[in-house]
Formats: sequence, C-alpha cells, structure tokens
Amino acid sequence: MAVQNLIETHNLTKRYGKALSVNTLNMKVPPGAVYGFLGPNGAGKSTTLKMILGLVKPTAGAITLFGSPMDEKNRIRLLADTGSLIESPSYYGHLSGEENLHIIQTLKGCSKSDVDEVLKIVRLTDARKKLVGHYSLGMKQRLGLAAALLGFPKLLILDEPTNGLDPAGIQEMRELICSLPTEYGITVVVSSHLLSEIDQMANHVGIIRKGELVYQNTLESLHAHAKEQLALRVSHTSIAADLLRQEGIETTQEDGWLLLPMLEDALTAKLIRNLMAQNVSLYRLEQRETSLEDIFLTLTGKESSL
Amino acid sequence: MRTLQLEFYKIRRRKVWLSMFAMLGVQLLWGLWAMRNPKDWELASGWMSLLYSLSVLDGVMMPTIMSLLASRLADIEHKGNTYKQLRTLRPAASLYQAKALCGLIILVVLLAFQAAVFILYGYCLGYEGNPDPRYYLLSYGLKFASCLSLFLLQLLLSMLFANQMIPLVVGLGGSMVALLIMFVSHYSFLPWGGNLSASVVGMDWDENSRIITYFYREYSPAEIAAVVCIFVWVAVFYLAGRILFTRREV
Repeated sequence: MAVQNLIETHNLTKRYGKALSVNTLNMKVPPGAVYGFLGPNGAGKSTTLKMILGLVKPTAGAITLFGSPMDEKNRIRLLADTGSLIESPSYYGHLSGEENLHIIQTLKGCSKSDVDEVLKIVRLTDARKKLVGHYSLGMKQRLGLAAALLGFPKLLILDEPTNGLDPAGIQEMRELICSLPTEYGITVVVSSHLLSEIDQMANHVGIIRKGELVYQNTLESLHAHAKEQLALRVSHTSIAADLLRQEGIETTQEDGWLLLPMLEDALTAKLIRNLMAQNVSLYRLEQRETSLEDIFLTLTGKESSL
Repeated sequence: MRTLQLEFYKIRRRKVWLSMFAMLGVQLLWGLWAMRNPKDWELASGWMSLLYSLSVLDGVMMPTIMSLLASRLADIEHKGNTYKQLRTLRPAASLYQAKALCGLIILVVLLAFQAAVFILYGYCLGYEGNPDPRYYLLSYGLKFASCLSLFLLQLLLSMLFANQMIPLVVGLGGSMVALLIMFVSHYSFLPWGGNLSASVVGMDWDENSRIITYFYREYSPAEIAAVVCIFVWVAVFYLAGRILFTRREV
C-alpha cells in the first residue's frame, strides 16, 4: 500500500497582479521526513508555505493535508495537527515566554504540561518568566519553535527558522529539527535559501525556482547527481573524440574541453598513449566534480545565493 | 468564549484600563469643573442638564477615546506579528469577533463608570429630585450604540493598518468633525455625530435672561433617521471589519 503523503499540492499557483509567485507547484511531503524546501530569496517558498497554512489564498490549484483536501471550512480542523513558524516568530513582547505559550496552549486546547515540556526542549525554562520583549532574537526564535511544538503536532512547518541566529544557535536549531521525527514522530517541512543548511537537516528536498518546483526527491538522490568527470584539453578535439568513441566512451564538448566519465587508471593511461600515437597533444587532464552547489545553481539559476 | 478570555489575558500589563480611565478622568474633570456652582434654576433641571452636557462631552471626546481603545487592542498583534500564527489556530472571523467583544465590554464598563460618577456628582450638587431612569437608560443605550459604532470603525482601521498613527489621526479628526457638527446642528448622519443625535435632551438658550431651558427632545423624522443611522453604522462597521479582516492575507 502506498504511503499517504502528509502534504500534497496539486498545481498550486499564486499570482499577485501580473507577477506569478508560485507556478503549478506539486509538492509531496512523505510522513516522517525532514523536507527541505530550498530556493533563492523570492523564489516563492514563504508564499507556498503560507498557502499550505491557509494564510494566503491560492489563485489556482489544491492542497491536500493529511489526506484530506483543504478548504476554508475544514482548514482549522486540519491545521489542529500542525505547528508553524513563518518568517519571524510571533509573540507578545509585554508578556512573559510562559504567558505567550499559555495563549497558544489555550487556543490549541492542549495540556498545560506541554508548556513545561516545550520550554525544556527549546531550553527556555530559566527565561520563562522574563518578558519576551527582553528576549534576544535567538530566544524569540526558540520561543516561536516552542509555540509551534505545543501539542506535539504531526506536522511542523518552519520557514527559515535559523534566520538571525548566531552559529551556535543555528547548530542547536539544526540538531533539534533533525531530532523531531525520531523523538516525537513529527514530520518537518523546513525552508531555507541555504543549501548547506538543508544538506545537514533534510532527508527529502524540494527545490523551487521562480515559483516552479524544479526538483523534488530524496536528498540521497540529489547527492547521486553530484558526479565526477574527467576533462581533457587536447590539440585535436575531434580526433580525440573519435578515438574515445572507438573505445566505447561517450564524450561531450564544453568550451573546448572534452568531458568524459570517470575511468579506471589503466584505461586512462591507455587512452593517453593512444592519443600520443595519433599525434594528438595533451595539454590538460583534470578530474572534475559536480558538487551539490553546482547542481543547485544549475537548477535555480546562477544568480542564486547559497 | 475562550478566544474572548484570551483577549483580556493578552492586554495584561498593557495598561489598557488605566489609559481608558485616564481619558475618562480628563472628561470627568472637564465635566465636573463645568458643572460646579450651579444656580437655582440649574438645580431644578440638573438631571436633564447633566444628560445634555454628557452628550456634548462624549461627542467631542469619544471619537478619540475609542480610537485609543481600538489601537491598544489591535497593535499588540501588529507589534508581535501574531496574526499569521493566530489564524492557523482560529478562524479570522472568530479573532475579529473576540476583539470586538473585548472592546464592547470595556466600553460598557467605561460608560457605567461615567454614569455612576456623574449621577453621584449630581446628588452632591443637590440636583432636585432623582434622575429619570427611562431617559437615562435610553440616553446611555443610544450613547453605547454611538460609541460602539466609533469603536468598530476604529477597530477596523487599527486591525488593517500596522501603523497606528493612521487610525489615531482618524479618531482625532473625528473629534474635530463632531465639534464642527455641534456648531451647525444637534444631529448628524455621520458616525462622529452619533453622540449628538443620541442626546435625549435638547436645550434652549434665552439671550436676554441668559437662562438655559432643558427639555426632553421630541424627535423629528430627520432626527429619528439620524438615530437609526447610528445602528446602521454599527452594522456596517462590524460587517466591513469582519469581511476585510477575514479576506486579508497575512
């Protein structure tokens, strides 16, 4: 039996005037995953997540949450099993951390003991009585995560949760997010414009570019794309290409280079000897690697930030 | 109900009550000063003059007080960027309703306090007889509706605009409009003239004797329409606020 995805979007589209913010997006988030939603700034990540939470109305398309199509009538019922932290943490600065969580706990209708537990998880127990207005940005971000965790929902949607955190805070947040599926059975959707961040947290990845989902699969599969190649620069490219073809090696040409798959050392040596024998001079022989960054840049466009 | 309780929980330490009573305090001091040392003829119609004076005071001050109240209730959400979280937990209409109800309850307390203080003051000054409960209830009922319409207008603006200067300027402008209306008429179809239309007491000033005669108003059809208009504004502002807030994307 096929595993039911927690989130599925079907041709989800959002248009603001003439600008197409999200274009026929089909996202699939399997249960138990840490789904990294990756894309450059302005790619449409936040808009997509807001549509999933019903904060923004889609221009077209549909959203299925926990297997049920979401509409205005059942939205709140379906979201009862969801926690979210969108863009920046929500808080009342004149109330303490504990009082802030009390508000969310009351609205979610979950147990009061959850407040203590989530404060412990995000390590804010000591600051629970302090006014949130006096919290640092990192503490506010952790409080936002604590609020999202209240009631231990099945699904957690976090939009750029490490924004504004210092390196130690980022590391801490990362570890916490990674632990959620195994320790609490929570599926996490986490968006970021940083590939390295998603690479360290997610096991599934969706890459969005200019509103379109250009890649969606496991992170493992994305890593598989990170292949190694040999690059040759010779005096007679066409002769060299014919010689390699005779050996059953397919090549491609790029900027005067011949690109071929990684070969055994013995075969490489043999090919070099053959090239010499044909009076083809070898100028350069390089081993090239297509990194995750290269793949990301190829998928999202060279102008993207990493 | 739970959402309404949380509205009161959320305004802890915001000194909403204090700021409201401070505004009311200014109004009380103004009223108490204006009504001090009444003459004999003023004591005879004291309870009527009190209702008239209050309608004037409320006409000028309530647009500002209501803008302040609405702003105090709504800006906590803008400051903390909380709408996007709250709207994943409760329908937008329910959140709007809770804010409106919270303001309504505060308004009832304020008006009850105002009535109690001024009636007590009337007894202290020695006004003849007792206040007529029918007219006082009618007056306060209409005053409540008028203030509610102003509050709902301000709430709409305060919830839509993160910059609270916009609704506060509208509130202050409303007080100025009310003042201008007073110079030309004793009723108005504008929301800021509601407290004047709602007054159950009229007055006639004799230029020669310099004596004011107060009387319970007999409403002309236009004045009745102006009173009905107060309730229309309540409905319009409530529905407009609810629809705009519900449809708004956060």
